[in-house]
Amino acid sequence: MLKGKLKFAIAICVITLTISYLVYSGAKEAMVYYLSIEELVERVPQVHKARVRVSGVVVPDTIVEDDVGSIRFQITDSIETINVAYNGIVPDIFADEVEAVVEGIYTKEKMFEADTLLAKCPTKYEDASALYEKEDSY
Amino acid sequence: MVETGSISILLAFAISTYVLFASLYGAKSQRKDFIKSAENGAIAVCALLLIATIALLNSLISLDFSLKYVALNTSTDLSKIYRFTSLWAGQAGSLLLWCLVLSIYTSVVVIQNRNRSRQLMPYVLATLTAVSIFFIFIIAFVENPFQKLPFTPQEGRGLNPILQNAYMAIHPVALYLGYVGVTVPFAFGMGALLSGKLGDEWVTYSRKWTMLTWTFLSIGLLLGARWAYLELGWGGYWAWDPVENAAFMPWLTGTAFLHSVMIQEKRGMLKKWNMSLIIITFFLSIFGTFLTRSGIVSSVHSFAQSDIGPLFLGFIAFILLFSFGMFIYRLKDIESENRFDSILSRESAFILNNLLFLGAAFAVLLGTIFPIVSEALTGNKILVGSPYFNHVNVPIGLLLILLMGVAPLISWRKASKENLFKNFLYPILMGLITVVILTAIGIREVKAILAFTLCTFVTTTVFIEFYRGVRVRSKRGENALLALVRLVSRNKRRYGGYIVHIGVVLIVIGITASSVFATERKATLGRGEALQIRDYTIKYENLKRYSTGAKDATAAELVAYKQGKEMTTLTAEKNIYKYEGNREINQETEVALLSTLTDDVYIILTNFTHDDKATFRVFINPMVSWIWAGGIVILLGAIVTIYPSSRRE
Repeated sequence: MLKGKLKFAIAICVITLTISYLVYSGAKEAMVYYLSIEELVERVPQVHKARVRVSGVVVPDTIVEDDVGSIRFQITDSIETINVAYNGIVPDIFADEVEAVVEGIYTKEKMFEADTLLAKCPTKYEDASALYEKEDSY
Repeated sequence: MVETGSISILLAFAISTYVLFASLYGAKSQRKDFIKSAENGAIAVCALLLIATIALLNSLISLDFSLKYVALNTSTDLSKIYRFTSLWAGQAGSLLLWCLVLSIYTSVVVIQNRNRSRQLMPYVLATLTAVSIFFIFIIAFVENPFQKLPFTPQEGRGLNPILQNAYMAIHPVALYLGYVGVTVPFAFGMGALLSGKLGDEWVTYSRKWTMLTWTFLSIGLLLGARWAYLELGWGGYWAWDPVENAAFMPWLTGTAFLHSVMIQEKRGMLKKWNMSLIIITFFLSIFGTFLTRSGIVSSVHSFAQSDIGPLFLGFIAFILLFSFGMFIYRLKDIESENRFDSILSRESAFILNNLLFLGAAFAVLLGTIFPIVSEALTGNKILVGSPYFNHVNVPIGLLLILLMGVAPLISWRKASKENLFKNFLYPILMGLITVVILTAIGIREVKAILAFTLCTFVTTTVFIEFYRGVRVRSKRGENALLALVRLVSRNKRRYGGYIVHIGVVLIVIGITASSVFATERKATLGRGEALQIRDYTIKYENLKRYSTGAKDATAAELVAYKQGKEMTTLTAEKNIYKYEGNREINQETEVALLSTLTDDVYIILTNFTHDDKATFRVFINPMVSWIWAGGIVILLGAIVTIYPSSRRE
């Protein structure tokens, strides 16, 4: 009986340790700092080495598309502004003044080379009037 | 109608409060009349919430813009069907639907158990009602769907075009039915703890509810995945987004619970474990709602950052403290009837299954709240994305599939060498054959080979189970088909479960093939030009521009060829919706999709110029259709399991 229990304890330990290891190694590998644009600019030059995620509002009239589908634009947090280059699928809601979330590397040439672009709903509609208070859309 | 709706919600709140106290008092003092009146009250609450929902639907369909909720979620150009579904497009409406579903479940539980388990039921009802009160409180006093605007606007904000999709219209409902359903087995568990009736009664009576809830969650997740695949236009169906994780976590622990209650029923073990598991599952379902509704973690789904966050947090804290408090209070009374005999037994296979599911849920939870945790601990907001989730969950998933094959064939208590040899000879052989075939046709991806091999292994074990059952019956003179039907209908839970397993196998095959072997190409083409991708040729024929009342559409007509043979004409669209209103999104991409058993050809029109040059992104995603087919098989298996017996249980 005791032997059986011991085997169980060992099995449970092995599983727990394995999952903990998977979590640890996975997190270590996939970790990405989420910075504001101000923080990004402050952390030059160390920031050039690592992947980071940054969010900011798209500066109106800065979106430039070339004919192979790459886009360039600027995002700002109203303190600092950076240039972003992105090649990939552009979300439908991406436009001037939306909040864009980009992930990639900020190069020494002061260009944020993004491989991920997410867009969130523009806030201007949400607090424009009593009608358009903060509200969600599933 | 609007007044009727508001008043109904207030009345529902008042009566629910009465039901809670009447059922508790009735149970404590053994007053049957109080219990009876509480039960009638629960049904009245259901009727009132139904009236409120009909009132809101009426306002939505008749576009009564004096209501904030209607003005925010509909517009004059919205078709009737989407006016109806905007009942759950916004926060207040979703919460009303949540309350309605819970009250319907409560009424069914009350009616089902009118004449049985009289000690347990008042506490079950009290728990269900306590949860209801929290949600009704929110719609009555915080997020009232009948809140009026100070003025009546001419036009509403409308519904985003990407939400105007049949899958979007139904998948939230399926998820709600699942999320809310978790409350029922939880209430039975709490009923057992509160009443001290700690036997198997709570497990037995909530068994079908657990299965029903699990089915709704599974189907809701799959429908959501299908919506993302068709509508979001990035070629994938799952992104480990916090909102997806929020629904996935209770599914993981719910699946664990679904399996471990069987051990309690068969062998009288794991009682404490089951109790904690259902509490955790309920916690995760409420926590998931909190995550998605409070805006605490950023998600591509744009939910409100509303004021209900702190309320939810308080409610979650209360649930955890109260239920684990009760659990510890009763701990000494919950005793296992049996002990584990051997590590090579069905019991231990189930335990391993549970640990793995729980581990996966923990890993997903940690990944989802990583930004919050890291900010609290280090001051830096750190995210972990899809690589983390895949890194952790793929190995766990593979082990779970292995167990899915082992558990049904290994003996209870202690498996002998003969048992192991006899049962696993053919499945292992079939697995080995799969490895040989896959390597022979040139597949070198280890994870894919493992996944496919395990899938063959599981399928063989299920096949053997059916074959043995049918053979025993046909020896008694039944023909094979009749034997099969009788076999399944006499052991619905067991064989329904196997059918569900086959559905899971199909999904695993689809996920593996589409994530390991997907091909992607991007090209800018002029009219008449073609691009090559794997053994497909995609020819760009024409660019059509047309306008309808609602949108300006640009449609690229393409022809797909496989190995030179023409398959079909496809249309990829990019639409600009005319109606400006106050909608967040006026652009919509319609992907062109050709789905076959072997491959999905998935084409996005990303850009076009005035001289009709167009840029396309083309994906060949192998076997995605197997995922949806698996969903249908799961549904069939679940129906077999839940289908009521003709004989009395």
